[in-house]
Amino acid sequence: MKLVILLIPVALSAQIEQGRAVFRSNCAFCHGGDARGGRGPNLVSAPLTHGESDDAIKTVIREGVPGTSMPAFSDFTPEDFADLVSYLRSLSQGVNRQVHIAGDVAKGRQVYLQNGCAGCHRVGTEGSVFGPDLSRIGAARSVEYIRESIVNPSADVPDEYQGVTVTTNDGRSVTGTRINEDTFSVQLRDVSQRFHMFQKNQLREVKDAEKSLMPAYGALSKADLENLVAYLNSLRGASQKTDLVNKGAGIK
Amino acid sequence: MRKSWLAVFAASTCLAQSPVPYERILNAATEPRNWLTYWGDYSAVRYRELNQINTQNVHDLRVEWMFQTGQPGAFETVPLVVDGIMYFTAANGYAYAVDARSGRQLWMYKYAIPKKAILPNGTVNRGLAILDGSLFMVTPDGHVLALEAKTGRLIWESVMAPNEQSHGATLAPLAVKDKVIVGVTGGEYGVRGFIDAYDAKTGKRAWRFWTVPAKGEPGGDTWLADSWKRGGGAAWMTGTYDPNLNLLYWGIGNPGPDIYGASRKGDNLYTASLVALDADTGKLKWHFQFTPHDQHDWDACETPMLLNLKWKGRDRKVVVEANRNAFFYVLDRETGELLMATPFERQTWAKEIDAKGRPVLNPGAEPTAEGARVCPGLAGGSNWMAPSYNPQTGLFYFAYFEACDVFYLSPPVYIEGKAYWGSMARGMDQEKRWGVLKAIDPATGESKWEFKFFRPSWGGTMATSGGLIFSGDEDGYFMAFDAKTGKNLWRINTGNRLVTAPITFMVDDRQYVTMPSGAALLTFALPNR
Repeated sequence: MKLVILLIPVALSAQIEQGRAVFRSNCAFCHGGDARGGRGPNLVSAPLTHGESDDAIKTVIREGVPGTSMPAFSDFTPEDFADLVSYLRSLSQGVNRQVHIAGDVAKGRQVYLQNGCAGCHRVGTEGSVFGPDLSRIGAARSVEYIRESIVNPSADVPDEYQGVTVTTNDGRSVTGTRINEDTFSVQLRDVSQRFHMFQKNQLREVKDAEKSLMPAYGALSKADLENLVAYLNSLRGASQKTDLVNKGAGIK
Repeated sequence: MRKSWLAVFAASTCLAQSPVPYERILNAATEPRNWLTYWGDYSAVRYRELNQINTQNVHDLRVEWMFQTGQPGAFETVPLVVDGIMYFTAANGYAYAVDARSGRQLWMYKYAIPKKAILPNGTVNRGLAILDGSLFMVTPDGHVLALEAKTGRLIWESVMAPNEQSHGATLAPLAVKDKVIVGVTGGEYGVRGFIDAYDAKTGKRAWRFWTVPAKGEPGGDTWLADSWKRGGGAAWMTGTYDPNLNLLYWGIGNPGPDIYGASRKGDNLYTASLVALDADTGKLKWHFQFTPHDQHDWDACETPMLLNLKWKGRDRKVVVEANRNAFFYVLDRETGELLMATPFERQTWAKEIDAKGRPVLNPGAEPTAEGARVCPGLAGGSNWMAPSYNPQTGLFYFAYFEACDVFYLSPPVYIEGKAYWGSMARGMDQEKRWGVLKAIDPATGESKWEFKFFRPSWGGTMATSGGLIFSGDEDGYFMAFDAKTGKNLWRINTGNRLVTAPITFMVDDRQYVTMPSGAALLTFALPNR
């Protein structure tokens, strides 16, 4: 009997370790090495948008979240799912899942409008599609990630919003986000939301921007920044489950 | 009346189905109208003395016909063409014979994959072998089949190994003399790999070469404890054959578990190696291990191409290979002696390959729990995409990936029928990856030209006496290049990723080029004027 009691924690800790290994190689590059968020949401201390039960977590991992960058890990084994859940539970044990936001949502919306964010971003049906759609950014990103994206947008540029500047053979230059590119052609969307499509033999150069095309808003006052973060964190619109548009997917 | 009968007779003799005895395959290069093995011949040069399509007119190349298989998944087949009939496989156990001029179907065969089968590599298939009047194919659950070439009917079926242990098969068999040579997949599932020969007439197994020796056998001491039992060493690609030496050259895959090496300390023979086997007995003549104790999944299943090269003033029979570990190797194919090993791209894992062929390792290239960045990445380097050689230019043409990965490790638990990796690798965020088609002098490794693909690409290459190299990329472009300069002379966007190598052949007076794309087999020709 004693033996059994001793073995359970050992088995559990092995499961947690295995879960950590699966997490490191499959999840950490989005959710952060400590699972406290990155390009993907904080899984430790923030509320889980799709439910907090083991089954809900497994379903999200297995099926992904359509309309977001969370892919389906359909080839994971039942053991992988169990290990991952054990690992995540071990991190969030005793943690009260809530996000502490100092700012004011309504004031943050004013900051958003006054700074022209809608000139590049869309919330619901309002705004531009040049930059990332922010309709559910509060569900998709940690508060820390959102704050960093405002003051230092070049810290992480998703592939879909990589800036590209092309120079045509006659010296004209066009900058936009890369919608698609292959060996012989490139397609951009400029800030006025127009597509520009080139064959590469028309171009002298195709140059990836080293920084984000979004200007850094480091000059915002601390209050404005926190209000803006609060507003963005409040945006939790539904993912586009029935209206999935895969931008620039090419022929993958 | 008599005249028209003569005409009908003449047309039909052009397309008479003649058998393909071993002697015909031996001399495959002398009948460039046909494509008689997976490689086109036994040496895998993938070069054809056909020049109706050439550097001057290739810009006129257009689709002549398309055959839609309707099969989802990667279309990795290389068709055979024999006297106007094309034979090929598709995913999900399909085989077809079609009129090579029109793409019209002559017969179709479907292997019933058992519902509960473990399919370590999905249902992908890379093609057929032909010998006399029979075609040979493998199945995703590890069976070998012989089909009657004129009807597609099953002649015999042999089981290579119990599917419960995750053995599968994807390669195109190689027919040699009276035998059919095949190998298994399952290197990610902890199988113990092997290469088998079956009697072409009866399907009875003639010999087996275990790619991982047992304890007590030569090489068995390169495995810690009983790790050899799950040692991997799948033999998932077709080998080549030298009829004069009567040797088969076969690439062996990664050790199992792929990434985690602590449980299998030692060199892990014959994984990540090239083995030379007696074609009659399967006995090992020599081996060369490219990556001892591999921990990066660098299977040595790249094409072992057989060339006769002038080497330091002397004619030498060599086998050349652009390996997944980013080095290009030249070996004496009689003895396995290393003649040259030189990197063909950026790599971070080895300081050099020493005179005996053993890599001198750089520190920091081993996978770790936190992740270690290593170039090339998990997929290579080069990989199974076929290279080619043009004797007119004396150049070796091959595709490879410019990519690095972060390798993570964790101790795996072996469960029969489950993946057995020991963790994984993934690309560096925001680090560029791309593909390259390259021409090198195989005697020196010196690069003559390069063409960059936007994405790492799995398309193989094919060379012709029309001065052309054909290849394809991940974005679906099928392309022709000037073999001398690398200039892109022609392209078409086929609308799906290209994951195999093209072939060329002639029927009547027209040369054709065939490339699978998506679920379609595309065949090209110059306009019929």
